Amino acid sequence: MAALAISSCGRRALLVDDNVINRMVVRKLVEEQGIALEEAENGKEAVELVKEGRVFDLILMDREMPVMDGPQATKQLRSLGVTTPIVALSADAMQSDKDSFLQAGADDFVEKPLSVDKFALVLTKYGLQDGQAADQ
Amino acid sequence: MDLGNLQRGYIDYISALFHEGFLDSQFTQLQQLQDESNPEFVLEVATLFFEDSEKLLNELSRTLDQQAVDFKKVDAHVHQLKGSSSSIGAQRVKNVCIAFRDICEETNKEGCLQQVKQEFYLVKSKLETLFRLERQILAAGGSIPIMW
Repeated sequence: MAALAISSCGRRALLVDDNVINRMVVRKLVEEQGIALEEAENGKEAVELVKEGRVFDLILMDREMPVMDGPQATKQLRSLGVTTPIVALSADAMQSDKDSFLQAGADDFVEKPLSVDKFALVLTKYGLQDGQAADQ
Repeated sequence: MDLGNLQRGYIDYISALFHEGFLDSQFTQLQQLQDESNPEFVLEVATLFFEDSEKLLNELSRTLDQQAVDFKKVDAHVHQLKGSSSSIGAQRVKNVCIAFRDICEETNKEGCLQQVKQEFYLVKSKLETLFRLERQILAAGGSIPIMW
């Protein structure tokens, strides 16, 4: 199993987003919290990372991406037995889009852009705040 | 110009950018993420935004220029620009992207392209001025006023 960068508490997140600016901003947000971040540019890359044996404490999944979108990737990850919290990220999503993402197996839906406060809420909800015990 | 005037000028300028809707709270988020370990974070994100958006606008222009416009491609390009402008807090660019298809229908494909280009170049110019004001303050030995 591939080892990831060691960080405080060893928390690891995966960001799946095809937009380079989105990734730059979320990267800073996540790393500010001392969480090691890996990135995938689309759902297919995310699934491949998991198939390679990567394990994460949190997956941030964009909805619209080329090659494989968020709901598709989420479905595949769940069918692979991934139980990691998957937080769907999207902007201006219609209720039907949100519902299909949740039905695909996402745990939560957060409106983009991701802010410091929204991310703090996500971390708290999934027991990943610095100091909270997390299964490693 | 003395430091006090430079700092007051900065406060007025950035306040206007928020007031006029060029920037929204997401830009403040980026400023809050900037620290000693990454003192040019906002500039770095903005620079990447400028480069990436210019490429997107060129691709969008090429796509719209076709005889038979591939609107799936148009939507994909606009979606990208909407995403990145939203991430940086460039509110007016984001809004024109959201309304892009409607604008195309109201005007024509040239009209909607011009609107999005106009908003992008406007915010680019304003941010470049903002970053210049910041450099002037720092060069005068001062610190950038915190707006939150």
